[in-house]
Amino acid sequence: MSRENTTAGDEIKLRRVAEWLWEIPRQGGMRVPGRIYASEELLPSLQDNNSMRQVMNVACLPGIVGYSLAMPDIHWGYGFPIGGVAAMDYDNGVISPGGVGYDINCGVRLVRTNLVFRDVEEKIPRLVEALFSSIPSGVGAHGAIPKISLGDERRLLREGARWAVGEGYGRQEDLEYMEEGGALQGADADLLSERALERGLRQVGTLGSGNHFLEIGRVEEIYRTREAEILGLFPDQLLVLIHTGSRGLGYQTCEDFLKVMNRATGKYQIDIPDRQLACTPVKSPEGQDYLAAMACAANYAWANRQVIMSQAEKAFIRVLGISPRELGFFLIYDVCHNIAKIEEHVVEGKPRRVCVHRKGATRAFPPNHPLIPKAYRQIGQPVLVPGDMGRYSFLLVGTETAMEATFGSTCHGAGRVMSRAQSRKISRGINIDQEMARRGVVARYQGRATMAEEMPHSYKDVAAVVETMERAGISKKVARFRPVGIIKG
Amino acid sequence: MTTREIEHTADLGIEIETADLSGLFSEAAEALFGLVADSDDINPKEKIAVSAMGQGWEELFHAWLCELLAQFNLKGFGGKRCEIVSLLHERVEGLIWGECLDLERHRFYTEIKGVTYHDFKVWQEDGMWRARVIFDV
Repeated sequence: MSRENTTAGDEIKLRRVAEWLWEIPRQGGMRVPGRIYASEELLPSLQDNNSMRQVMNVACLPGIVGYSLAMPDIHWGYGFPIGGVAAMDYDNGVISPGGVGYDINCGVRLVRTNLVFRDVEEKIPRLVEALFSSIPSGVGAHGAIPKISLGDERRLLREGARWAVGEGYGRQEDLEYMEEGGALQGADADLLSERALERGLRQVGTLGSGNHFLEIGRVEEIYRTREAEILGLFPDQLLVLIHTGSRGLGYQTCEDFLKVMNRATGKYQIDIPDRQLACTPVKSPEGQDYLAAMACAANYAWANRQVIMSQAEKAFIRVLGISPRELGFFLIYDVCHNIAKIEEHVVEGKPRRVCVHRKGATRAFPPNHPLIPKAYRQIGQPVLVPGDMGRYSFLLVGTETAMEATFGSTCHGAGRVMSRAQSRKISRGINIDQEMARRGVVARYQGRATMAEEMPHSYKDVAAVVETMERAGISKKVARFRPVGIIKG
Repeated sequence: MTTREIEHTADLGIEIETADLSGLFSEAAEALFGLVADSDDINPKEKIAVSAMGQGWEELFHAWLCELLAQFNLKGFGGKRCEIVSLLHERVEGLIWGECLDLERHRFYTEIKGVTYHDFKVWQEDGMWRARVIFDV
């Protein structure tokens, strides 16, 4: 592999554009070039070609603007690569559920506390146990709250996190610290199937399985003091990180609309290189219906994370025997990393309305952007990037460069480097509990198999991922935190 | 009849090879349930009927897998054994023996979010039926 100007993984040629940026030139049916952010260190993880092929496939979609982009945590997904970003012209482009994924509005929220790790270190096992018993996790888990009525569910789908706050889960001010205030407008529950609605009734307040988790972390390093102060961070502070999405309701909505898109792709005579990229013009009735159904699922995810956060606060209060005021359980921010959003961006010097698909990528708006909370206007939008469960996670902020180069987007996580089967094989010789304890993490989980697939060796080093985006000027590191407790499905 | 796991970075995939088409559908059903939970622990004490519709073998196979997944997602039902009762070009009917799964008694593996179309294929080769499917997990 040449390190100079071009490199090839089999037949795919990469041209180096800048130190951290590689381009796949237009070829075949590609309407725009592909662009991948990767350091020299991360580049070998692309060698299998599958994820690069997916970047090229996305570049073939009608109305794509600028580049088919991939963040440094790129890995092989289905349809879009995970870590993929694509903006489609609102008037002439398409929307694809494959660019959002089954877990619509899968995302992360970060909560700060007033606690200092060394003061509560001994109570971490009890905290983890309390969190594990009050927040259902694992395959098919049912809600932390009783089954809701269909009427309540419809309200939840319209109001998102606001519904949860109205039901007593969290505080009104939490809503300021979520993308879109915790509810996408235009949600229409009439577009969801009975099956999707049925699946949603019992899963509010559940983590799920796979890579979803709730983590207690401690602030290990602060890179930018001013930003950290504004975000309420201090050294050795205890934080809570929640990673989950729209659960069965979102998965079912994706499945239902893939069928709609399969028909629409034929109806509008759209040529696609992978059936999972089935799509429709954004402005078509099918496109508008998908946006309204997707908004329902996105709102479900915000309500889900809101309920989980509230349950976590109660568990902390119970175990530590302190007041809410002493605990200071405040939401720093909540981001989506599987979503399509209609946004305004400047393209070739002109403002343009686009549908930005972020599939395993996070919005990273710059300082002074009107869509970020007033309290953060001077520093930019917080971006939450979880790593693997044994190393560390990062808090970043967005930049103006992100607006110019990536439609205001950055990475979303570490990115897998090996298949689940390989991970399980390697994990076979490892005592998971001992290994997590060796790393200073108290872990409670439902399934050993999931843990085996999610061990740190399965992932890239997230530090290399966020460093790439820092050097490229796309997002800036504010703090790093290390897990001390984790619950998983 | 063979089923093997496909190496996929983020998700889970299987490739199945059988001598006949109905075997492909029954083997896929058992493999799918085996990805969700350990089939060894499942007592095949209940029988449920599952059917699906789709245009052509590929669509029918996809619809069948989605329908099986729905049995788990909506009813918590985990299958151990499958028998295809009827297989026409647009409709499949099968019987699944298993039971409702329970976190206390059964060993769960992973949650399957969806049956993707990425690299999805049903085809005939060298006199054998083959299918390739990647599940989002």
